[in-house]
Amino acid sequence: MAKFFKILFKILLIAGAIYAALFAVFYFDLDGKLLFRKVEPLLAKHYDKMERRDPLSVMYEIGK
Amino acid sequence: MKKLDLKKLKNMDVKKLARDFWYGKPHGERRLGELYEDKTGLYKHREWRGVKDTMYYFNNIWLYNYVMMVGDIMKFGGPVLFAKGLWRYRWLGQTYLPVLHWFDRGLEGLRGEALRASAWHYRAMVCVTINQFMNMFKADGNLRGGEHNDAWHHSIAHKETVWGGVFYPWMDKYTHIPLEMIPYFVTCHVNNHTVLNYIDAVQSIGLPGDPCPMCQAEAGLFVLDDMPDYAPFMVTSNEACDGSVASTAVQDWFMNVPLFAMPQPMQFDDPLVQEHCANEIRELWKFIEEQTGAPFNWELLKEYLEKQNELQRFEWEKWDVAANTSYYPINGVAQALYRIYQTQYGEHYIWHDTDKRVRKIMEKCVEQRINSFPLTRHRVIAWSCAPLYYSNWCTWAYNCWGLNTIINMDSLMFDMTIRTDNLDDTVMDMARYHEWAPMRRMAVGGMHHIFELWENMEKFHCDMVMMYDQLQCKGMQGVVGLFEDEFRARNIHAIWMPHALPDKRTVSRAEIRRIINDYMTTVMQEEPLDPSLLDFDDSESW
Repeated sequence: MAKFFKILFKILLIAGAIYAALFAVFYFDLDGKLLFRKVEPLLAKHYDKMERRDPLSVMYEIGK
Repeated sequence: MKKLDLKKLKNMDVKKLARDFWYGKPHGERRLGELYEDKTGLYKHREWRGVKDTMYYFNNIWLYNYVMMVGDIMKFGGPVLFAKGLWRYRWLGQTYLPVLHWFDRGLEGLRGEALRASAWHYRAMVCVTINQFMNMFKADGNLRGGEHNDAWHHSIAHKETVWGGVFYPWMDKYTHIPLEMIPYFVTCHVNNHTVLNYIDAVQSIGLPGDPCPMCQAEAGLFVLDDMPDYAPFMVTSNEACDGSVASTAVQDWFMNVPLFAMPQPMQFDDPLVQEHCANEIRELWKFIEEQTGAPFNWELLKEYLEKQNELQRFEWEKWDVAANTSYYPINGVAQALYRIYQTQYGEHYIWHDTDKRVRKIMEKCVEQRINSFPLTRHRVIAWSCAPLYYSNWCTWAYNCWGLNTIINMDSLMFDMTIRTDNLDDTVMDMARYHEWAPMRRMAVGGMHHIFELWENMEKFHCDMVMMYDQLQCKGMQGVVGLFEDEFRARNIHAIWMPHALPDKRTVSRAEIRRIINDYMTTVMQEEPLDPSLLDFDDSESW
């Protein structure tokens, strides 16, 4: 029984720590800062470099 | 590092500190502008709204919505499909990851029931958005090396200005997906950086800079090859104006699939055009039957229209509370975006879930006489079409000046239920509904309708107008003088808000705030509720 409570206590402790860490991410807008400073520039670079089909090379057919 | 000021510490009012911690600071003391980092608009820290509301925001909005977004992605197609779309399409990767910041901007300063009701509106919009882009990816030939799967053959592409309701008869087997609603329209609200790529792209092939930037951006998506290939045919319309016809030509060129054009009359009051407009819809149905081989299903149409009518009836209840009481718990931006999204896209289960939740909150507010916007100094009606890159201006305006935006023009557009007792009446009502689309009915739909402003001002008991001035809308530019004359003659306080719809480079958000600040100080001679919000630099922000 004591072992069960020990494990339960550990689980609660870990869950509590995760919850507190998430609250810190929320409160200090760490998600926003990560997305703005790291993720968006990285993705924008990727999209800028992407090879794309040139739609202007397609003939404009009317009456299809 | 700052030195500890012992004198200040000694003079600290501990009771007040404890009260501010527990309940949050009262409106006049919040200094929300000091929360922003310079330029980026990121928060040094998110707002402390008191224990109850901060924990509500953290648990029931921030955490809940992150979890629900993952859940929606799993439900509507799975993480692999999402990752493929993210890697392929700029509008997805650049825009939809910071979606919680969109919540933050719209919900700033809100407390209690208003925080809850407004956030549910945002949650619904996120769910429908994920549903739409996942449906696009399920059918997308670009993600499958050009191969067209079964989902591609069961999807219908249409311009975002074609009301989704015209496709209800095929909803059991086919999915209708607007072309630009997700890649263009919603992106501008969430992250206004993305759309600039598309505007620049279309100008790079020779389009001059002065046509409507909405149509420019919609065409630019195709020029940049950033549009999924998800349907075997498309349906277009001249809504809202001839600018859409021009962008359709580009879309027709680049999509290269069979197209049905469903033009709607500009001056729609003439009863003779009603019949014509109804016939357009019947012709569209024939076209869909030809393309899909699936017959028109009247029972399905009725079923979906009746569901949609339910949404409209609740909207009328909301308007009644907004117009006649101080207990309406939905802020200006949530009201505007949810309503335009719901009425334009059409039926979706999440609208009903949301309305149920909002009804509960609204009824509680009325029963218990909860005023969610107690520092309202002016009841504002917003008219014409809004700046997409600053749709949350009304959140700022309430926090800074006590300007409470009660209702806006786009919300009032599709103001009708549709008869379902016989097909002839149904089609006539559907034609009318289609004609009452955003930017048509009260913008370019004729003088009488533009001036419905006056009766709505009275109906919603508003004492001030926020008059949007879309600088590149030739239709609305033509009536600026008429409005100015009317404002003077009727002695109405009106603030003109210039903007270029999705393009923040023409009139910045700071400039919009400056114009409102100037009017409030010089004409109204009022003091701001929160002076920290008067002037700040958010030029690089989402």
